[in-house]
Amino acid sequence: MKLSFKKKALVALVTTGLTLTAISVGVENSANAAGVNPKNIVFVASVINTTNPYMASNIAGAQALGKKLGIPVQIVDSQGSSQVEISKIQAILAQGKTVVMFVNTVSSSDAPIIVNAVKKAHGFVSIWWNKPDSLEPWNVGNSFVAFQKHPGVSSGACDADKLGAALGGKGNVIELPGVKDSTTSVTRVAGFETELKAKFPNIKILDAQPSNWDPNLAYNNTKTMIAKYGNTINGVWSADDAMQTGSIKAFTDANLVNNVKFASDGLYADTIAAIKSGEGNNAIVGETFHRGYAASAIGLYTAYLAAIGKIDPSKLPHSERDSMFKIACVDSTNLDQYTKWDNNIPGWIDQLIKNGPWNTQPFPLVAGGPEKTPAGWASQF
Amino acid sequence: MKSAKCHSLRKGRKEENMSQVSASEKAKLSDSKFEASTLKAAAKKNALIKSLTEPAALIGVVIILCVVFSLINARFYGIVNIRTILEQAAIPLILAVGSTLVILIGSIDLSIEGVMGASAMSFVLLTANTRNPHDHGDVAVLAGIATGAVFGFASGYILTKFKVPSFVVTLGMWFVGQGFATMLYGDTATPYMTNSRVSGWSPRLTFGLPNAFWAALIVVVLGFLLLNFTKLGRSAMAIGNNESIAKTTGLNIDRVKISIFTFAGALTGIAGIIGAIQLGSGSPDVGKGSLFVSVPAVVIGGTALAGGRGGVLRTILGVFLLTILNDGLIVAGVSANYQSGVAGLILIAAIIFALWSRRDKLGVAK
Amino acid sequence: MSLFKATEKNGVTTGASALSLRNIKITFGDLVAVDNVSFDIQEREVVGLIGENGAGKSTLLKILAGVYKPDSGTIELSGEAKKFKGPQDSLDAGIGIVHQEQSLFTNLSIAENLEFVSGGSSKSGTIFKPFNWVKANKNAALALGKVGSKLDPRTRVGDLSFIDRQMVEIAKAMKVSTAKVSNPIIILDEPTSLLEVHETEALEREIAKIKDLGSVIFVSHRLDEVMRVCDRIIVLRDGKLVAIKDRDDVNQQELFQLMMGHEKKSQPRSYQRKHQGDTPKVELREVGKKGEFRGVNLKLVAGEITAIIGTNGSGREDLCKAIYGVKSFDTGTMLIDGKEINHWNVQRAIESGFGLVPAERKVEGLIGGLSAADNISLIFNDDVKNGFLINPKKNLAIAKEWFEELDIRPRAPQKELEKFSGGNQQKAVLAKWLKSKELSVLILDHPLRGLDPGAAETVNSLIRKAAAEDTAVLLLGDTMEEVLDIADQISVMKDGEVTGSFDLHVDHPSTLDLLEKMV
Repeated sequence: MKLSFKKKALVALVTTGLTLTAISVGVENSANAAGVNPKNIVFVASVINTTNPYMASNIAGAQALGKKLGIPVQIVDSQGSSQVEISKIQAILAQGKTVVMFVNTVSSSDAPIIVNAVKKAHGFVSIWWNKPDSLEPWNVGNSFVAFQKHPGVSSGACDADKLGAALGGKGNVIELPGVKDSTTSVTRVAGFETELKAKFPNIKILDAQPSNWDPNLAYNNTKTMIAKYGNTINGVWSADDAMQTGSIKAFTDANLVNNVKFASDGLYADTIAAIKSGEGNNAIVGETFHRGYAASAIGLYTAYLAAIGKIDPSKLPHSERDSMFKIACVDSTNLDQYTKWDNNIPGWIDQLIKNGPWNTQPFPLVAGGPEKTPAGWASQF
Repeated sequence: MKSAKCHSLRKGRKEENMSQVSASEKAKLSDSKFEASTLKAAAKKNALIKSLTEPAALIGVVIILCVVFSLINARFYGIVNIRTILEQAAIPLILAVGSTLVILIGSIDLSIEGVMGASAMSFVLLTANTRNPHDHGDVAVLAGIATGAVFGFASGYILTKFKVPSFVVTLGMWFVGQGFATMLYGDTATPYMTNSRVSGWSPRLTFGLPNAFWAALIVVVLGFLLLNFTKLGRSAMAIGNNESIAKTTGLNIDRVKISIFTFAGALTGIAGIIGAIQLGSGSPDVGKGSLFVSVPAVVIGGTALAGGRGGVLRTILGVFLLTILNDGLIVAGVSANYQSGVAGLILIAAIIFALWSRRDKLGVAK
Repeated sequence: MSLFKATEKNGVTTGASALSLRNIKITFGDLVAVDNVSFDIQEREVVGLIGENGAGKSTLLKILAGVYKPDSGTIELSGEAKKFKGPQDSLDAGIGIVHQEQSLFTNLSIAENLEFVSGGSSKSGTIFKPFNWVKANKNAALALGKVGSKLDPRTRVGDLSFIDRQMVEIAKAMKVSTAKVSNPIIILDEPTSLLEVHETEALEREIAKIKDLGSVIFVSHRLDEVMRVCDRIIVLRDGKLVAIKDRDDVNQQELFQLMMGHEKKSQPRSYQRKHQGDTPKVELREVGKKGEFRGVNLKLVAGEITAIIGTNGSGREDLCKAIYGVKSFDTGTMLIDGKEINHWNVQRAIESGFGLVPAERKVEGLIGGLSAADNISLIFNDDVKNGFLINPKKNLAIAKEWFEELDIRPRAPQKELEKFSGGNQQKAVLAKWLKSKELSVLILDHPLRGLDPGAAETVNSLIRKAAAEDTAVLLLGDTMEEVLDIADQISVMKDGEVTGSFDLHVDHPSTLDLLEKMV
């Protein structure tokens, strides 16, 4: 069959295209063998906002690592918006240096766009906390070095244990989830509710008002729930400390804080102060421990090692590319063990560099993702 | 021929002019006079009814909502929830009074969230806090209010002297305010208020109602007095109605606008301070989300975005409608999934109901 | 006829005239708008000022109001010579003018509006004062009482009827001008244009009362009112003062003649009428629209030019808009080709072959930012399209043809239409409609307005051509001469009604006949 000139050209075009793609993937994958010169690298830390203490900690960690390795650091403040996040990242990628990036995404759906942009620019990125389950680093290429987080289910479960015990196994609690459909929030809620039901069946969950990780909103929603349930509320679980702060204030204002117990995730500085001072009636009974500075440092260091060729992502086991790091369950009795590095971030960075991203206490790698919510769980709110 | 007929009619009129009015003509005249006076009286009554129907309809909606929410959950009308609603309405009320005045002169103020953040930070860093040894009490409050007033003045000045539309100026001020607040926030820890008397001020009861509400009430009264009993307020209404006529009467339009913006800025400062007190800490984000409560509240209350109509009392209705809606849906147990959707539907229905009487006047709806 | 007749009040003859104009002249470019006008107005008299459109009335008023400075001539008030540097000077001298356009804030009460009268409120610092409602209401009641109005000062102006608002305007004008002088001059510019019959009588009574407070200059096109209300009548024509008559010394007929100068008769029509007996393209039966026009009967016949003339407030522009579908009729029926029409809007009008060349061509007729070619192909553009898209080359080519045909200059159809002169813009707008292959009705609202004689002639010939091609043409003309030249039928409208109809193949009306019906 004789092909027309047009058709011939088309075939030639397609073949060339496929070949080039294959070559480029191969090139991509083998580029790391050579590695990038650290002088051409810039660290980027992209955070959701700069006013949340966790985000501030992300920034501190990135800066400390940059200082230790002698690499300049740029910060992206997403101002809570996916569009701002993506456009700022694209601008930095266009600057020309090799970008080694840690991203705390505003939402899951940002991840594919970001990793593709980084890949195009021959950079290296670690994504923290939120991505679509189906997007796996090994399917994208070496530019998407790793996806990392702390498990949510165990966070929620830890709080359920502490709260349930503090309530003596009976009473009523209210929930403050984060942004309702973020996997971080969903997994924590799932962990909390499943554990509570299993271990403390006599504790009832009265209500759940998602408060978007915002202390303001948590304050107002809590006030309304207090109006609705009054002093029948015995315990409050918040998906993060920012919201817990607002919630505690609401109970304080209502003169009820002495009768209520709280548990949450993050062990922020002011939470530590509150626990130590016995605020309320030793109101805060449970926290989970993880740190922003560790997240950004681990993420950046992982991507950095890939950039300079020390590790080849394509040869890593899946658990080291979709990773969950240890989240410790703490209360007033043991939190000091974990907080010792909080005032010595550079010291912890030394540990990180010595032991590598997956073996540094108190955040060793514990499992590979993606995280699954407990079987049979469905949100009742 | 038609022209001949017209001609004779004309002649007939002329004869009437020559005061040879026939009896039947006289009767016709007095009939029409009577018609005229009854028409006049009817028009006056109509106008009165029309001016009351709008707010009456809104009040009706608010009452219906309260009744429904109370039926669903009796705790809705309990004293605790009432105090909660009043406290939650405080900041939107204060902001909405400022927005009402700005909208009445035909402008808009988009800067309130940023200015709230700036005022909140100014206030917290001067009152007893965890970051520095300051503890200036009242001066801190004045500083917060002054911060807001300065931003307001700047907006008004740029608007009038450089003829930049208020939408654009205040949008810029939003970012400037936000930036100022973020700069004050820095990258050290959040500054918390250490004086619990101050940080607990908002819900503390005076005469049985939360302090924040009393503050809002005072602001509302001030706004009402300013609008209705000062030359400034009446001039603002005049300018909002027809700025070109206002120019010809020799009104100092720039002065009026700058004053209004400064006053609104000061109110935003107060709102920022209360926001910080409610949180117990300083943050550039205390005002987050306020814009989309205060401006809709003003418009729903009945103040037209074009300026020149409406008022402070109307705005109160709008604020309470929104606050009661938000609170009531939670107390009624509506799932968080549906809260926004339900709230939106109720709002649209309420507005259609309230503005039903005005729809023919509206003509072009944009 | 005495120019210096002193009026008597309580038997005392007053001395110097209240207002004295001598040799007032003002020119704008080539046009002498006011040509050596001199007259006196005494205290406590009402003087009417009449004249055709363009006679110089409004220019003269603007001079009195201090808006224009005369090139030569003097103004004296109570014997004192005055020079006005601006409107404030005129107000300070005691001249208050009530314009046709309202100058009140509709959302505020009467009292507030009267408080805002200028002179004092621009002083710095005063806006921070409390607003003294009690005082404002009292002052307003006083001011209203002076002009004989019993309105409640707390009433919102937006709720007042037109005549009540006029009274407030008069009270406002009085308030300003009585501030400093004992004999204010109140000028009323067409105060009755929008009033119903019973309301005009009320206003006339008010004017009679105001007369006791000062002098009144009453400008109106309604001669019957002028005759009723005024003591003397000043007639302007072509910028010149042609007569001052005592009311008792003159009748309307004479006033008409004075206003117009010579009579002009229409020429007999020489061409054949093709469709005289056919069903009219458009027929209006007793159509009306509240507040604008009523009981109008009109027939637009294919191939014939029907003109409607009238003065301000005649309702003909509104009638035009309703025929085109921009507004709707409240009463009556419209028939197109003999069939009654129920729903009518612009879209359907265009589909039925209607075209409108509006009066405000800059606002309603052309799109300034688009090229002339784009304007021309705005509505009928099948000839320049390839499928869905307009072919720019074809667009320009077709436009060039129209430019040739209508002699539009310069020959540059790609230039933005707003850059062309008025006359050429008008031709382009016409071209847009003439393009239609089925233009059945062409409505022209003041088509020659603002055109020089050459352009006007071209446009006229285009209109005749359209008629020759069987289009029914409806024309609102600016001047009587214009329509006498070109029309087959003329209808005259006044205050919303058709007061006269002429078939120019049968009647031969003169300008006088037309004018009679217009005023």
